[in-house]
Amino acid sequence: MLLCILIVVLVISTGCWNRRELNELAIIMAFGLDKAGEQFVVTAQVVNPGQVAAKEGGGGRSPVVTFQKRGDTIHEAIRKITTVSPRKLYGAHVRMVVIGEDLAKEGFGEALDLLSRDAEIRTDFFIVVAKEEKAEDVLHVLTTLEQIPANKMYSSLEASANAWAPSATVTLDQLLSDLVSKGKHPVLTGIQVKGDSETGGRKENVETIDSPVRLQYSGLAVFKKDQLAGWLNEKESKGYNYIRDQVQSTVDDVICPQRGKLALEVIRSKTEIKGKVVNGRPQIVIDVRTEENISDVECSIDLTRNETIQELEKLGEQSIKDIIATSVHKVQKKYKVDIFGFGEVIRRSNPQYWKKVENNWDQEFADLSVQVKVDVKIRRIGSAGNSILNELKE
Amino acid sequence: MGRPEKAESLKKSLDDNIQHVKETLGNSNDIVIREIRIGKEQEIKAGVFYTDGLADAKTIQSYVMESLMLDIRETDMEEKLSRNPLIHLKESVLTIGSLQDVSDFDAFFSSLLSGDTLILVDGFNQGFALSTAGWEDRGVQEPTSQTVVRGPREGFSENLRTNTALIRRKIKDPNLWMETKVVGRVTKTNVSMMYMNGIVNDKVVEEVRTRLDRIDIDGILESGYIEELIQDETYTPFPTVYNTERPDVIAAGLLEGRVAILVDGTPFVLLVPALFTQYFQSAEDYYQRSDFGLLRMLRYLALFIGLLGPSLYIAITTFHQEMFPTSLLISLAAQREGVPFPAFVEALMMEVTFEILREAGVRMPRAVGQAVSIVGALVIGQAAVEAGIVSAAMVIVVSITAIANFSVPAFNMGISIRISRFALMGLAASFGLFGITVGLIAFVLHLCSLRSFGVPYMAPMAPFVLADQKDTIFRLPQWALFSRPRLISQKNVIREQNPPTTKPSLRKGDSQ
Repeated sequence: MLLCILIVVLVISTGCWNRRELNELAIIMAFGLDKAGEQFVVTAQVVNPGQVAAKEGGGGRSPVVTFQKRGDTIHEAIRKITTVSPRKLYGAHVRMVVIGEDLAKEGFGEALDLLSRDAEIRTDFFIVVAKEEKAEDVLHVLTTLEQIPANKMYSSLEASANAWAPSATVTLDQLLSDLVSKGKHPVLTGIQVKGDSETGGRKENVETIDSPVRLQYSGLAVFKKDQLAGWLNEKESKGYNYIRDQVQSTVDDVICPQRGKLALEVIRSKTEIKGKVVNGRPQIVIDVRTEENISDVECSIDLTRNETIQELEKLGEQSIKDIIATSVHKVQKKYKVDIFGFGEVIRRSNPQYWKKVENNWDQEFADLSVQVKVDVKIRRIGSAGNSILNELKE
Repeated sequence: MGRPEKAESLKKSLDDNIQHVKETLGNSNDIVIREIRIGKEQEIKAGVFYTDGLADAKTIQSYVMESLMLDIRETDMEEKLSRNPLIHLKESVLTIGSLQDVSDFDAFFSSLLSGDTLILVDGFNQGFALSTAGWEDRGVQEPTSQTVVRGPREGFSENLRTNTALIRRKIKDPNLWMETKVVGRVTKTNVSMMYMNGIVNDKVVEEVRTRLDRIDIDGILESGYIEELIQDETYTPFPTVYNTERPDVIAAGLLEGRVAILVDGTPFVLLVPALFTQYFQSAEDYYQRSDFGLLRMLRYLALFIGLLGPSLYIAITTFHQEMFPTSLLISLAAQREGVPFPAFVEALMMEVTFEILREAGVRMPRAVGQAVSIVGALVIGQAAVEAGIVSAAMVIVVSITAIANFSVPAFNMGISIRISRFALMGLAASFGLFGITVGLIAFVLHLCSLRSFGVPYMAPMAPFVLADQKDTIFRLPQWALFSRPRLISQKNVIREQNPPTTKPSLRKGDSQ
């Protein structure tokens, strides 16, 4: 009997201490971090479940709402949001963290600690940089197809990284390890608002076939430590991903021997980077091996001949080599920060040498000799033989 | 009516005896007392006693009355009869199978009230009880509580004798032994123990015997009385005595070395020792091919769903929202918009409503049963959700839990799971998954501490017996079930010796 009372008292007095019902939660889907003077501006994109869940939709309200507050620290700003939000913010389901360009230029290092320290927040979200925008503007755009813009950003980033290559899915862990590593500087994908960000937050934006305002990923942002150094264009970004062995699948264009173009679909790609020190000078050899399919022939060429395929493989190799070389060249000459992790490669292959150069690696990196070897294998030519163009021409 | 200190013996005078019987039974008019005279000179006065309805009137008429009053006339028996009527009646006259001497009123009344016909002869303080018991009973029908698609359709009935016969018909072996006891001071219910001598563990038999002897109660109306009086542990939600309506299940249990306890007046026969795994086995597991036994795994899954369904839902939605996939969380949150109660109260309401419906469904007369299901489906399913009192997801959780609970083959284990579910829901509501984990650990500890007639309840999982895994979570093919469960009995463990079935090998000259 006493035991029963004890158990009941135990349950009643100690239980329920962080109980939250689902309808007491403001589920944050995305954070936007900006800087205003000395203060942080935190924008939280919070889902409005009633509007998102299919059946009960049609209330004419937005599927997400944003709340914004500024504070001296990020956490202060987040807690301040409760003064405008009806519910306490819940951060376990954050999909995206968007860093405003201004903050990125000043350095976003301080902003990351809360995200990694707070036990509630899972670290599986992606981090992107708003290109020429404030983060809040990015979070103010409604999207079609995916009702929740944060989900749109998340899946679009994943899809473009998987199928098109010039974006990078960077999670918090990766970003932190890049930040502290001496032989690698971080890279984040840039996101842009195409159109007038004022109308992006209105319902009209998703009521037309062709949304006037859209979110678009465009290239990679190069960081020197936590400060934004500059941007890579699409091609250079792809080069970066080739070097980092992050290409799952992409499409490369090749100029045909005669005229016109031909597209090669990369179906598998594997990159190995080897580093060595020759005569006291570090050298990097990038070895890319890809398997490709001919996916789009827009020139007249005879695919039935073996020699043609070999010729195309050569062209494909050249094309990838160009992409990588351009990328390396731009980063070496313009930004002078090792985003490719060549320093890490050197460190692994020759630790003694690395000890000497690690503190001024970025200078070394600028005149590093980089060799690119590409091996392309064309596997299939698709479900058609020669292009109909061959016959059109006659 | 208390038991007399010492049995009062019969009196010499028939009239006195009749007088005593009438007085004792309060002149109940279903007791038939016939005074007859036997013999050439009609000089032997005898009394025939029986209870109308319990004794078979036809048998009495043709084998007792006719023999006594007509058949012996004009035979030389009459001569002998007049000299020593008792012995001659017994040895030569009464053409009836079973006969017993009766010398005191205790035996007299218990025979009389069991349907026997008693004959007393004037001048002797002794008589006989003739077994003429025969009354209307339900007969052998299909069991309703444990149905199978394939398997015997006969079930036990209320008649003890029929029930023992049903078991004897399955096991025709002299080693099938039976002991009968009379339990219940007033009801004097026959309780039979059956076991396979040579297979059963003698200690278990002895234990059952002592526990049955220990019972001191006025009446036994169902085997449930016996179950509660002989079970190992009262303060547990889990049953430690198995019961079934199916003779084939009892026969299988006997062959595994268990002891069956049959109680007169109920079709539910008890089987001990009972193990936890036994409650998840169905007779049909053995009648279909062995891959059907995989469905047993489904029942264990159902056990966990039935036990944990609502509590996991409560725990995750109120404490661990990060465990949901984002889109599921949003859709659940949307359903909960506007629900006024916390998830625990919501779950409790639904569960209690469901339990009430189920209870009503069981007790209601069949004719109104449909009304219950309509009201239930509407109230639980639709109206509650539409009124915004509960969320749709909760209805799904409660229904899955309920259905999972039904798929446990033993009804009494289902009840245990139902009860335990509420405890776990409380823990989940106050401590989340930690509470559930602690609760589950407590359950496992408790289960491991239970014993059924000395056999660990969780055997063969704890203690782990490798050989018995062949018939625990799944069932191997018949030829692989070579031994009896190790912990039930250690005697005569080899059950069969069959090689695995093979294809006939190709002989010379056979064409493909």
